[in-house]
Amino acid sequence: MDLGHYFALIIGVIFINNFVLSQFLGLCPYIGVSKKLDSAIGMGFAVTFVMTLASAISWVVYTFLLNPETNVFGGIDLTYLRTIGFIIVIASLVQFVEMVIQKTSPVLYNSLGIFLPLITTNCAVLGVAIMNIDKNSNFIDSIIRGFGAGIGFTLVLVLMAGLREKLEMCNVPKPLRGVPLAFIMASLMSMAFMGFGGLVLK
Amino acid sequence: MKIVSEFTKGLYRENPVFRLALGLCPTLAVTSSVENGVGMGVAATLVLVCSNFIISLVRNLVPKKIRIPIFIVIIATFVTIIEMLMQAYYPSLHKSLGIFVPLIVVNCIILGRAEAFASRNNVLYSIIDGIGMGVGFTLSLVLISSVREILGNGSFYGIFILPTAYKPVLMMVMAPGAFLTLGYLLAFFNWIDKSGNN
Amino acid sequence: MSKMFKLSVTPHIRDNTDVQKIMYSVILALLPAAAGAVYFFGLRALWLIVLSIISCAATEALIGKMLGKPLTIFDGSAVITGILLAFNLPVGVPWWIPVVGSIFGIAVGKMTFGGLGYNPVNPAILGRIFLLISWPIQMTTWHKPNGFTGLDAETVATPLAVLKQNSRIILNRDSSTIEAFNSATSKIAELSDSYMDLFIGNVSGCIGETSVLLLLIGASFLMYKHYIGWRIPFSFVATVGIFTWIFGGYEGYFTGPWLFHIISGGLIIGAFFMATDMVTSPITFRGRIIFGIGCGIITSVIRLWGGYPEGVSFSILLMNITVPIIDRYTRPRVFGKVGK
Repeated sequence: MDLGHYFALIIGVIFINNFVLSQFLGLCPYIGVSKKLDSAIGMGFAVTFVMTLASAISWVVYTFLLNPETNVFGGIDLTYLRTIGFIIVIASLVQFVEMVIQKTSPVLYNSLGIFLPLITTNCAVLGVAIMNIDKNSNFIDSIIRGFGAGIGFTLVLVLMAGLREKLEMCNVPKPLRGVPLAFIMASLMSMAFMGFGGLVLK
Repeated sequence: MKIVSEFTKGLYRENPVFRLALGLCPTLAVTSSVENGVGMGVAATLVLVCSNFIISLVRNLVPKKIRIPIFIVIIATFVTIIEMLMQAYYPSLHKSLGIFVPLIVVNCIILGRAEAFASRNNVLYSIIDGIGMGVGFTLSLVLISSVREILGNGSFYGIFILPTAYKPVLMMVMAPGAFLTLGYLLAFFNWIDKSGNN
Repeated sequence: MSKMFKLSVTPHIRDNTDVQKIMYSVILALLPAAAGAVYFFGLRALWLIVLSIISCAATEALIGKMLGKPLTIFDGSAVITGILLAFNLPVGVPWWIPVVGSIFGIAVGKMTFGGLGYNPVNPAILGRIFLLISWPIQMTTWHKPNGFTGLDAETVATPLAVLKQNSRIILNRDSSTIEAFNSATSKIAELSDSYMDLFIGNVSGCIGETSVLLLLIGASFLMYKHYIGWRIPFSFVATVGIFTWIFGGYEGYFTGPWLFHIISGGLIIGAFFMATDMVTSPITFRGRIIFGIGCGIITSVIRLWGGYPEGVSFSILLMNITVPIIDRYTRPRVFGKVGK
């Protein structure tokens, strides 16, 4: 249990290679849900939950069903089914999470609205699942990366919501109002996060 | 001519990136060079046309309650095919586009058109809609990547077009430059629209 | 600031003459450091400052005109941005660097959001980081302070960069040769002789950030007038000092060269003149302390373990972004609990 390794992994995926600001994943909800702070926080937690679970389940699916070196079919290469398999896992997971939230907290369910099923098309979720495989991560690392990426997404979403709420009362030139300004703010945030470039924690 | 307007709507009036704000993730990620932008655009268009075709074909057979997962599986199938073709015949492009090739599956343009159009219209119009949206998407990618590559690298499609005295703005080919370019281009199109309406 | 006890959301509605008075006092406070810049780095420094001021003012005036706004450049804020941006440049940069940086900082950082009072981040910091990211070579090439003799052909590293490079060699002693290790320890020992130079400003670095003495003279004037508060600079500087004392040494914890870190690089100019920008810092007192501590932690982390030798600008930009959240959660209780 090398805590330093896990710490570096989490810091890396939250700050150094933030999913939204340096990898361009999760942009649709980043722009779409960041208008109000409360929905941003709710969305962030929902996405983090899905990303963590999706990382775990997709890793299991890949290792035991698809990867010729480790699967139960003894050597048949089914890696080309990765994309289809993962997206089915994610779609089912989101469906399941939707049902759970609807039963346990109808308030949250209503406030997230259509954005809950849209987590299926959030490129960050499928992205992290594929990334875990591309980087040959083991099971624990994959879960941690999924969780960390979700936290990084939530952090950036919350910061953006704070900025957008404040800028509601601004004197912004008309063509820039709304989505264009959100992208320009994303640019400023992305510039700021570049400060973590090359960070190596001893 | 309905066919012509179904095609041209994807180019400007309902341009997926600049008007409908769809397909943003790959738009920013692959536009650091025009070559990558074109590559992604063509790949996504192929997937879009094929999936629109099939989905329109089976639109009356698919039960409404589970249509979204079925669409996704159809789209994922074509993405897998395109992925394998690209890996075989254009390996360097496949490497540059990286994770965004499989991510074409969750490109909101493709699922969006499937749900909004292909599942409700006949095969011919669906194919044309797919081509129009795909071309519109590709043109948007080319526009953004032109700005980024020219300002950030002094080149266009790999050919250096600015004098060597020009010291490129490196930020343009990096993440902040992508966000900045899209933001100001969106504002520009808003501005043109407003002036047009006046 | 003793004036700011109304806890409203920014932008504050403020009397125009108030703004002007404060701005011109800030310009006055920056004059000693400007004089120092010219004294240590020559007339080229003056040229950079002038170019920067003109570019900032021209950009603001032009864009303001295009947007149909009244002329605002005489409120002094564009001039301050120009001076601060120039202060963050090495003396050897080509003439177009301050021009492009100013245009970017004002156009993107200020006018895009609606002008003074609406900018979420400090425009001078934004311009500086834009320049650093886009032209890293030009922005990290420093010269010795030669005064009016002009620029040397050779370039040098800043004291902070020297400390960082050599600390790395010492910490990785298993992978360094004996000569490299010894040369690293002696280079670091040399640094401790340079404290007086660091304080006065007779070291390489950006033209306006090197002279702690001259900057502090200006800052004390502003604090005396209550135009900048003590909370942000104090918490910022103290956090850097404590953090680098604990983690910054190569002989174990609590051995770090904290005084060196405080008087090197852009910390003094950042903490007193840029982090304190009233538009981009928190309103509440508690918020400001959090802001200063945050800046201090991020600066120290980047200085000690990050890819860049200096982290002040990035930390201010990052904390600027968190200000709305800080303000939200440090609002005082009006009736009972503050709902989240």
